Amino acid sequence: MKIKLSLLVVMLILATGLIWAAGAGERAEPAERQGVTEITWWFGNWNEPRGTELARKFEAENPGYRVKVEPFVGDGMETKMLVAFRTGSVPDVLAVPNGWTIPFAMQGYLSKVDDYFTRPGYPADDFIQAALDTATLDGAIYGVPYRMESHGFIYNKDLFRQAGLDPESPPKDWDELLSFAQKLTDPAKRQFGYAITGGGERQNTIFLVLPMIWMNGGDVISADGTRSTINEPAAVEAVRRYTEYFTKFKVSPPSTLENDGTGIRRLFEQNANAMMQQGSYALPNIYEAGIDVGTSLIPAPKGKDPAVIIGGWNYTVPEGAKNREAAYKFLDFLTETENMAFFTDTFPARYSSLEAERFQDPILEPFKEMLPFARMQPTLTEWPEMVNIIFTEIQQILLGTKDVQKAMDDAASKIDALL
Amino acid sequence: MNSRKINLRKEFAGFGFVLPVLIFLLLFITYPIFSNIILSFTDRNNQFVGLQNFRAVFADDTAVFSMYNSLIYVGFSVIGQLIVGTWAGILLNQEFRGKGIARSTILIPWVIPGAVAATTWAWMYHSDYGIISHIFMELGILADRGPLVIPHLVMPALILVNVWKMFPFVAVMVLAGLKGIEQSLFEAADVDGASLLQKLFYITIPQLRPILTTLILLLTIWGFNSITLIYTMTGGGPANLSMILPIHIFQQTFQYYNLHKAAAESIILFFILLIIIVMYMKTLTEKEN
Repeated sequence: MKIKLSLLVVMLILATGLIWAAGAGERAEPAERQGVTEITWWFGNWNEPRGTELARKFEAENPGYRVKVEPFVGDGMETKMLVAFRTGSVPDVLAVPNGWTIPFAMQGYLSKVDDYFTRPGYPADDFIQAALDTATLDGAIYGVPYRMESHGFIYNKDLFRQAGLDPESPPKDWDELLSFAQKLTDPAKRQFGYAITGGGERQNTIFLVLPMIWMNGGDVISADGTRSTINEPAAVEAVRRYTEYFTKFKVSPPSTLENDGTGIRRLFEQNANAMMQQGSYALPNIYEAGIDVGTSLIPAPKGKDPAVIIGGWNYTVPEGAKNREAAYKFLDFLTETENMAFFTDTFPARYSSLEAERFQDPILEPFKEMLPFARMQPTLTEWPEMVNIIFTEIQQILLGTKDVQKAMDDAASKIDALL
Repeated sequence: MNSRKINLRKEFAGFGFVLPVLIFLLLFITYPIFSNIILSFTDRNNQFVGLQNFRAVFADDTAVFSMYNSLIYVGFSVIGQLIVGTWAGILLNQEFRGKGIARSTILIPWVIPGAVAATTWAWMYHSDYGIISHIFMELGILADRGPLVIPHLVMPALILVNVWKMFPFVAVMVLAGLKGIEQSLFEAADVDGASLLQKLFYITIPQLRPILTTLILLLTIWGFNSITLIYTMTGGGPANLSMILPIHIFQQTFQYYNLHKAAAESIILFFILLIIIVMYMKTLTEKEN
C-alpha cells in the first residue's frame, strides 16, 4: 500500500511537471541563421495572432530580417519590463502602455526616438498630438504611439426598455445617472443600475475615479506639484459621488469590492448591471452575449465637460537595444497606416489609420468624441504608489470603515509624504 | 610515494567533489543574503544609513499590520492543518473498503498548483457567482457579500483555504508515522481495557511526536514565506486587511522600487522566524530533559 501511495504521488508530481514542460516547449525557436538580422519584438499576448501575422508579413517583404515575436501576459508585465531594463536583456522593439512611457523614460530605461520623426519625408504630422504627448518628456520623444483610446459610457438598451426608460436617451449628467441607476436596480433579480469597480487591478478604479475628480474641477496633486489636493472639496465630492453608488444607493453590485474592469464587463454581459464606463474593447464580448448595447459620452456634472484618462500603447526602443537601425525599419512597417489600423484593439494613433473601415461603426462614435476630453495621469515615478494609496482609501470607504473626508485626508497626507 | 602525498591527493579529490555544491551555495544563497543585508543598511546612493530603513518600516502602519496579520495567518493555519491532518491520517490508517482511493484522493488539494486552487476558491467566495457565498446567503448567514469583502471574515476565509491546501501533507506524514508504531502497544492497551480516546491520547499522539514536531517547523516556515494563496485571492486587500509581510515586501520591491525598505522588511521577517523557531526548539528540548 505504501509503495502504491508513493508511486501515485510521484506520478502526479511528474504529470504536473510535464504540463509545465509542454507549455515551455511551445516557445522553442529554431537556431539563428547566418547573415540574418534578428529583431526581437515584445507586445501583449492578447495581440498574438495579429502580431505574428504582421511579423511574418514583414519577413516576407524584407528578406534578411527575422522577427522574434515574444508576447507577454498582462499580469505582471510591468515587473517583466523592469527586470529586462535592469538586466539589460531588452528587446529591440517594446510595446509599453502609454501611462508608463514617461516614468520609464525618466528613469533612463528608454532611448530617445526624436530622429525617427524628423527623418525627411516622414509623415510626423499624421500622428495624433495627444498620443505623442504621452511619449514626450522635456521636449524629447521616447515612443511611437500605435494605439490610443478612452473610456465611453456603455448601457443595456433592453434593460432600459424594461425599466420604462428611453433606450435612445442615456443619462447626460451625474444626477440623471443616479436616478436612472436607481430605476434600473432590482436586487431581487440581481440586477444593478450602474457598476463601479473597487477591487482587483487597482488602475481600473483610478480610471473611473480620477476623471470624476477632474470633471468636478478637482485634482490629485496641486498645479505646482508640491502638495496633494485630493482632500479639497471638489475632489472629495467626486469621490463621495463615486462610492455612494455602492455604499448609500446600492446601485452597484454586491461584488463591487471584488470587481475590476473585467469583473464589471462580465456582469454586464449577463444583464447583471445596466450601465458602466469602459473602453470600446468591451464591445466584442457584449455583442457575443447577444446584448442590445448603446454607447454615449460619459456623464458629467450638469453644465460641465466630461473628462477621461487617455489610454493606449507606444512602441519604444529600450536603452541598450542591440539593433536600432533594424528596429526603425520594423517600426516603419508596424506604424504604416494600414498595419497600425490592423493591430490596435481600440483606435490607432494616426489620423490616416483612423479612416479605416473598422473604425466607422456608429457605436464607436462616442468613444471618438471622448478623445478630445482625454487627459494624462500624473507622470511621476511615485504615481504607482499613489494609485495604491488612493485605491486603498477608496476600499476603506466602500467597506464602510472610513468616511469620505477622513479617507481623503489620510490619502492626502500619505501622498504629501511622497512628494 | 609516501603516505602524506596520498593524503593530500585524497583531500584534493574530496575538495573537488564538494566544490560544485560550494560554488552553488555561495552564488545562490550566501551572496543574496549578504547583498540583502547590505541593501537594508544603505540608501539609494549606497551610503550607510544605520537603522533608518528599519525605522521606515516601523513607521509604516501597513507594514506593521502585515506582521501582525502574518502571525495570525500562520498561527491559525498551522493549528488547523495539524488538527485536520492528524485526524485525516488516523482515519486513513483504519481498514475499510476503498481506503486506497480515499488515500489517493485526499492528496488532491496538495497536488493542485497553488494559483489554480486560489483562483478557484476566490470564485467560490465571490459575492455574485460564488457557490459558497450563495449557500451561506440562502441560509441567511451572510447578507449579500462574500467573505472576502467582509472585514472580519477575510482572514478566516483565507486561513480555511490554507488549511485545506496543506492538510493532506500532514495526513500523509502522520499516516507514515502511524505505520511505525508498534502494534504490541495497542494490543497491550486492549488487554488493559483502554478506550479509543485513551489509546489516541496515550499511545498514538505521543508516538507521533517526532513527526509532529518536524511538521510544525516545516509548516511554520512555509506559512511565513508563502505568498501565492493570498496574493492570488485578494492581493492583500480589501484595504490591506489581508496584507501579509511577504506580499508587502513584494509590493515594495517590484511595484514601488523601494528596494532598501523591502530588504529591511526581509530581515525582519527572517528574525521573526528565527525567534519563533529558537523559542520552539528551546521549549522542546527542555521538555525532553
